[in-house]
Order: sequence, then structure tokens, then C-alpha cells
Amino acid sequence: MEEYLDPVSKGSHVSRLGPLDKVHAFWFSGMSCDGCTVTVTGATTPSIEDLLTGSHPGLPQIVLHHPVVNLESGPNFLRAHERALRGELNAPYVIILEGSITDETAAMETGGYWAGNGDEPWGADGEERAVTADEWIARLAPGAAASIAIGTCATWGGIPSADGNPTGAMSMMDFLGQDYRSAFGLPVVNVPGCAPIGDNFNETVAAILYFLQGFGPLPEFDEIGRPAWLFGETVHRHCVRGAYYEEGSYAQEFGDPECLVEIGCWGPVVNCNITSRGAINHVGGCMNAGGACIGCTMPGFPDKFTPFYKVPPGSAVSTAASRILGSLIRPMRLYTNEHLNREVRWDLHHDVPSGWARGKQEPGRLKEAGHRIYDKLRRSNDTGKADVAPWGKRHEWTYERDPARERTLPGGTDRNTAERGAE
Amino acid sequence: MSMDPVTRIAGALALHVTADLSEGRHLNVHSQAPLFRGYEVILMDRDPRDAIFVASRACGVCGGVHSHAAAYAVEMAWGLQPPPLGTVIRNLGEAAEMGYDNPLHLYLLAGPDYSEAVVKRTNPELWPKAEKWSCPGQNFHGFDTMADLMAALNPLTGELYREGLHFTRVAREQFSLLHGKYPHPQTIVPGGVSTTFTLQTLNEFQSRLSATFDYAQRMVAVWDDISEFFYEADERYKQVGARRANLIDPGYWDDPYAYDATYANCNEWGEQRPSTPGVVIDGELVTTRLTDMNMGLEEFVEHSWYDEWVDGDQRYDTDPLGNPLSPYHPWNKRTLPRPGAKDFRGKYTWACTPRWDRQTVEAGAYARLLMTALAQKHPPSDFYEATGHSLRMRVPKGMQPEAEFEWDVPEVWNAFERNRGRAYHYLFSQLVSLQNVVLAHQLLKRGEDRVAAVNDKELERRIPKDERLGVGWWGAGRGWLTHHCVLDQGKIVNYQICTPSTINASPRDPFDQPGAYEESVLNTPILERIAEPNDYTGIDMVRAVRSFDPCMPCTTHLHTGHGTIVREINTCACDG
Ligand code: SF4
Ligand code: SF4
Repeated sequence: MEEYLDPVSKGSHVSRLGPLDKVHAFWFSGMSCDGCTVTVTGATTPSIEDLLTGSHPGLPQIVLHHPVVNLESGPNFLRAHERALRGELNAPYVIILEGSITDETAAMETGGYWAGNGDEPWGADGEERAVTADEWIARLAPGAAASIAIGTCATWGGIPSADGNPTGAMSMMDFLGQDYRSAFGLPVVNVPGCAPIGDNFNETVAAILYFLQGFGPLPEFDEIGRPAWLFGETVHRHCVRGAYYEEGSYAQEFGDPECLVEIGCWGPVVNCNITSRGAINHVGGCMNAGGACIGCTMPGFPDKFTPFYKVPPGSAVSTAASRILGSLIRPMRLYTNEHLNREVRWDLHHDVPSGWARGKQEPGRLKEAGHRIYDKLRRSNDTGKADVAPWGKRHEWTYERDPARERTLPGGTDRNTAERGAE
Repeated sequence: MSMDPVTRIAGALALHVTADLSEGRHLNVHSQAPLFRGYEVILMDRDPRDAIFVASRACGVCGGVHSHAAAYAVEMAWGLQPPPLGTVIRNLGEAAEMGYDNPLHLYLLAGPDYSEAVVKRTNPELWPKAEKWSCPGQNFHGFDTMADLMAALNPLTGELYREGLHFTRVAREQFSLLHGKYPHPQTIVPGGVSTTFTLQTLNEFQSRLSATFDYAQRMVAVWDDISEFFYEADERYKQVGARRANLIDPGYWDDPYAYDATYANCNEWGEQRPSTPGVVIDGELVTTRLTDMNMGLEEFVEHSWYDEWVDGDQRYDTDPLGNPLSPYHPWNKRTLPRPGAKDFRGKYTWACTPRWDRQTVEAGAYARLLMTALAQKHPPSDFYEATGHSLRMRVPKGMQPEAEFEWDVPEVWNAFERNRGRAYHYLFSQLVSLQNVVLAHQLLKRGEDRVAAVNDKELERRIPKDERLGVGWWGAGRGWLTHHCVLDQGKIVNYQICTPSTINASPRDPFDQPGAYEESVLNTPILERIAEPNDYTGIDMVRAVRSFDPCMPCTTHLHTGHGTIVREINTCACDG
């Protein structure tokens, strides 16, 4: 990669904002679907191309060694890994794992492996042997400035660790064990999601680097290593359908606009920010489009959420409660909403003087009385009514609304009556 | 001089190649998928409602196609016919997926192989030529000379590279509007989708789609010019990646009024697909019937790390219509992994060996153009028309005026034609998208806004308790994709995924025919300028393999990783 970027790397990408000008990143694939790589290429805050070319002010250039995006054809793909092991890189490095780690001891019983990552000369006769992703992680993790797991497979085992899989798939942090700390003293950093939101990952990397450059705050991680500012909230809290839940309205058919809990949404108990961040460039998001949450960011995914599309049993209590509450709240809101959907002028006229008039019902006496009380309450401590002359404006500019005069204006009720009478 | 073996591709695909540099030939190739993930195994024993979400994780590069294929398989077994808008939304999402996948491949993965950075290094003799060669497609893509175009292909910094990345993002936004996220859509259900589809959704989708047509014209012109330049520079480039014209494709997208999710009518609704199903053997179209394609499909594990399952006790002798099935058919296949040592005479890969009618066939997005062009059966369209030897496409006006492009069936299937075909396929898929946008408007106009066959409660009640078979015939960025399932007592008792990359990356079969990658590398001449054996990059072979768009996670459905793009050069011997 570096050699292709010559023109770029010869430019001054050395940051004035910190000591680092280059950081190597070794990306490994365990049992992955490559979806994490795919979402990272979609991220824009910051974008992958800015990170790799070092054109994001404040951040060092990232030299990426990746099985898909790596473009190197001369020095082979694994050689930089070897330099890192020997401490000859002259720059800090991070390791990133996408996909879960296999239990290779199971595969070794029949003399094979689940996940190879290149061949290496091995043993007395230097015979080539498949090296598994596990081995590379184990070798490079101790010297890494940070070890980052991306995606639910690498953070918690994910789908490959689901019931019935013979490969014994596990997460990166389980694999590295309780005592693991990176060279900078951190346990594994976890950015979950299946697939994760690309921007969650790029932002986490950027946050760590802002800190290492000396100007950013210390990024906070929660008790299982997630960036706290991204995963501190449930997806329900920012859900575009949340208000339906509150009002006790639930989608009954696929495609309905209401809350999805009764078609199987786990949102209220799942840590995820897709409803506020969107999937890509703030577009999409599961519930935004109509998809129920299946908990794909969670350590319990998938087996604590299956069968999918089955209503989470725990939701029965909360939906019943919100139905009761909703049956009170909804009519009240509807009542005020109707009032707010009228111009002040129309109230003065007691009429809607427009082409849409036929669709508009005049509120009855009772409703009107209610609105009047409501308006009184609303303006009860309105300081605009204080007894002080507004010396900043000339008196003639004040337009006093006179109901009698309003009624004679175009569309006014008096006029209408007069015109109608004339016909 | 013979180098033994020369090149391999690390990641999820390892190619073990023996090349004779003095003769300029590749002598021996083994394509190996070194990762196993176990999606089929995980799916067994589960509620069929889990199939869509679990199967999706088979691939994140083609991140929507597996959900769809699973939905097709499960809804066939279940007897759930999606309402028209449900099918249209699936079509839109999947056209958007091609709108991401094709530029991703052409500019992020394959493009660099034809860039200034690579060409100057591997074939410096071509560079002065490129500087003088003025591009015929200049009006469409804006580059005066081939050298300018090649510079634009440079990774990360080149204009075409960055523009490609941009359009993959636009397409992913389109996909996410309908399905929440990409990869792994959240709104695919058996019998339709759960998308909340309003005029806002449709307009946001359509507005992004509109931007792709100018871009498609540019893309087509770029890849036309690349092919012409290389052919003109050296005729032998026509042999890079060349193999017999044996291709297969099950068709893609559906006519919302024809598709009824039944096996009984699959030939009728299959032939109504916007891209026609078909098999081409030695350049001749031999069938367009999905039942024929299904009957002919077999998977072997002779050279793969799985146990044989055929023991005289065959679960299904025929398909539900009474057509005979082989014991190696996916409905009869079992996934029995057994890791082992690499032995090129025995077992050496996690990929299996799918064959059709016991022949090596090839899958690819371009196969869709081929079948549709030859068959001339596609439903009438405002935007494209098959002629029997070509596909004519009318591009609506954008900044560029309206234009007509014609993709001709190539004389030889090689690396350049695959890439060119993929560029035209991008245009084709976006036209299919436009056609479905129009359909969606019509459906909304008529108030037909149902998107799924049944609701969630009904779905649960309707889980079949008897034995049922299902198959989803679908496509991916790389062509052919099928999911076969067997349900019994309300659970999945067998699940088989056959991906395009498995078809292409397959090892030798029991009849000793090489897989498509293997065959195409064997036919590839070494045209690289090699001063020192150590400088050999294997660019010709890499172009050959990469033209299949080898996304390994796919290949391996069961195994994963990654494909390609990393080539490692070593000169030590390990190949037997
Ligand atoms: S759809 Fe899910 S996340 Fe949204 S409000 Fe309902 S329960 Fe919460
Ligand atoms: S909302 Fe749920 S299913 Fe969607 S991305 Fe977040 S955790 Fe995954």
C-alpha cells in the first residue's frame, strides 16, 4: 500500500497536532463474512480514504494491512506482520479482528484447521504449514497499542458461535483471556454490530488516536469494552417509532408504521445507536425502515433472541402497561393537536376561509371552552403580558387583532354572510 | 525455468499455482478455500424463521442476497406468495445491491490491476503506448488518453477509484432506505418484506437512482476502452482468463404478477424474470427452465474436507414434480465437515464442487446479460431489449442526453469481457431498478400497499409441520445463488447454500475437470515483463482470477474469509 501512496505520503501528512505521523493497522479475518470490512468502506466520519491517505488533520496516516483492501504486490502481505513482531516497524501498530476465533484444537484432532491465514515454513524440514488466524492474533496482540474487535463475531462470538457449530467459535477477548492488556494498557476494545455501523468503528479509531495525539479526551469504554458514548443507550430510546410505543400503538401487519415490538422487536433492551446514527451517512436504520431489532449488537446474539420474529415474552407486561397509558394519552394529544392545527385567525372567524374548509370541522362549544381554559393556563405566567411599555417599538406598528374587524376581511364570516345574503 | 509453486492468494482463497516463466505458461493450479464457518450446520435444527437472518451472515460483501435467497426457499416450502409490492421492494433493494457491488468490484478490487501504479510496474512497455492512445469513449468518460484513465484508477487517490467508492455508498443508502442496513437487511420476511414503504421512501430511493445513469454511461465507456486498449496492445490479452463459454444463471428479480413462490410453476415465473434463467454450454443456450437447472445440479466433495454422505440411502429420488434427482443434489446432500491436511491428490479445500450436468459451469453477473440476450424471453421493457446476440439498453437522460448502449455477446470469455460485462450489468441492473420504481408508483397509485403475505402472528401459526422442500433461486454480484431447504415437524432438517464463488472456485471434480478459476488460470499466458523471477507479481493470473470477482466469504459459504486481492509471492516448494 505504502508504495502506491508515494505521492500522498510524500506530502506533509505529519500532523502538527500530535507526535504520531504513522500508525500501522493489521486487520485479520477470523470466521467472518467480511461485512465489517464492507461497512467500514462505507463510513464517512472519518472516511477510510481520509484515514489511509492521512488527510484528516490531527490524525496520523494509517498504514493498513488488510486481506482485501491491501494492494501490495511486492513485499508480501505477511512480511509487515513479521517486522511488527520483531519490533522493526518504527511506528506503533494496532490489530483489528473481524470474525470470530476458531477453536483450532478441535480441527487439529483430524489433522486440519478451520481458518487458515497463509502458509509458513515450519519445523525441521521447513515444510509449509497453514497458519491460522488465531496464531497471528496471539503473536501480535501483546505488542499492539490497541487490539480492536469489530463486529459481533469478533466481539462476542456472534453467529459462528451459535448453537450447533462444530468450530468452537469465540470472541477475541475470550481468546486473549482475563489478563490481556495491550501495550497501552487496554483490554480489547469492542465495536459490536452485525454488521456494525461503519462510522462507529471509524469514530472509535479516531477517538483513540485523538487521545494518543494528546488533544482528545480519554475515550470511555463500558464494562465490556464498548465505546460508552456509542453503546450507552438502548436503540429504543432514539427509535423513530418510540412514541408509538408510548401511546400503546403496535404494528400488526408487516410494513405498518407503528412500534414493532409485536412483530418481534427487542429494541428496548438492546444497546445500539442505529436509530440515531443511521446505517450509512445517516440514512437507514432498522426501525427507520421497518425492521424489528434482533439484538445483533449484543453478547447474547443470536441464541438469546431466536426464534426471530417471535414477540419477546418480556414485552407482554410493558406493552399492556403502555396500552393502558396510551389509551389516556392518545385522546388528549389528539385534542390538543386538532387545536394546534388551526390558525389563530380561523378561531377568530369561527370559520376556515380556504378551499380546504370543507374538510375542517369547527370545534363544538365544549371543545372551544376547553381550548380557552388551556390557552389561559398556557399564558398564565407569560411575561409578555407584564405591564411595561415596549419602548423599542413604535406604537403604530402594533397590530391589534380585532375580532369584529377580522370578520369583515376577505374570507371573514360577516363578509361571507353578507355575500351569501346578496346572492 | 520452472518456479514451483509461484503465487498464492492469502485470505480465504489460496491459489497454488505452478508457472513456467520461460515458457510464459501456468502449468498447474489448485484453488483452495482455507476457511470454514459452518452456516449450514448452524441452521439445521432451527425454527425456519431463523433462516433469513442466519443465512444472511454467510456473506457480508453480497450482504443482501442470502436473506433474499433464504426467504425464497422458506416461502416456497411454506406456501407464502408475496403481494406485488413486496416483490417490487425486493427487486429495488437487490438492484441497489448491484449498484454497490459492481462499482466495488470494478474500481476498488479489479481497477487497481489496470491502474498506472500497476501497469508501469508490471508492463512498463505499455505505458508510452497508453500515453499516446486516445480513448474512443472520451465523450462519455472524459479522459483523453488511456494513460489519464489509468491514472484515475490508482487506488485511493485516483478519480475513478474515489468516484466508485462514492457510488457504492449511494447505493448502500438506497438499500438501507428499504432494508434498514447493509449488509444484513432487517426487513426481509417469508412472504414479502416488513418495510414501511411510503412515497418518501420511494422518492428518496428514486432520487439516488437518478444519479446513477450518467455514472453508468461513464462506467461502460471506461471498461470498453480498457478492453480495446489491451487487445490492441497485444492480441494475447484475449487469452487472459479465457475459458469455455459454459455459464449458468437462475435469473434475477421477479415479475411481481408472475411470481407465486411455487415449485410447480417455477418455469413460468422463472422465464418472466427481468433477467432470464439459463444455461449456456459451449456458447449454446441449452435451457431456460428452472426445473432443468435444479435437476442438473450436483455437489461433490471428492477434494473437499467433508465426509461423503451417499450411502445408498437417498432421501429424495425425485423433485416435487417427479423429475429425477441425483444423490448429489443439494436436497440430498449433507454437510459433514472433517478438517484434514492439504493434499492436492486428495482433499485440499473447504469449497465443494458444484457441477451442472457434470460439467464445469461459470457464474457471474454478466451471465445475466448473456442468458437474457440469447433467450429473448424477457418481459417487455421500456429500457432494454434482447436481440438474440446482444442486449440493447436505453439510458434515460440525466446531465448526459438519452443514449443507447449495446452489449454484444463476446467471442471469447476472458478477464476483459467479464469486467466489461460487469460494467454493462451495472447499467442493466439500474434500468431494472428504474422499471421497478415505475411499478412501485403504479402500485401506490392503486392503493396496493401490502408488502407481506401474512402478518407476524399468522406466520407463527402457519409454520408447516409436515415435510416440505424449498429452493430459492437468486443471484449475487457474482451470479448464481441457491438455497435449498428441507423442513420437517416445523424445523429445518437440511439447509444447503450454493454460491457463485463456490461454483467458480471449486476444485477438481470426480471426473477430473478443473474448476472455473483453475481452468482460466491454466489458459492464461504470462505477459508480464519479468526481469528477475523475484519481481514476478503474477499480474496476469491475478487479473484472470479477479475477473470472476472472487468474494471468498461467499465462496465458502461454509468457510470464509476473504478473498483475493492479496497476492503473495514466494519461491519455495510445497506443491506436490
Ligand atoms: S420499534 Fe422497537 S425500538 Fe422502536 S419503539 Fe418499538 S420496541 Fe422500541
Ligand atoms: S437495531 Fe438491533 S438489529 Fe438493528 S443494528 Fe441495532 S442491534 Fe442490530
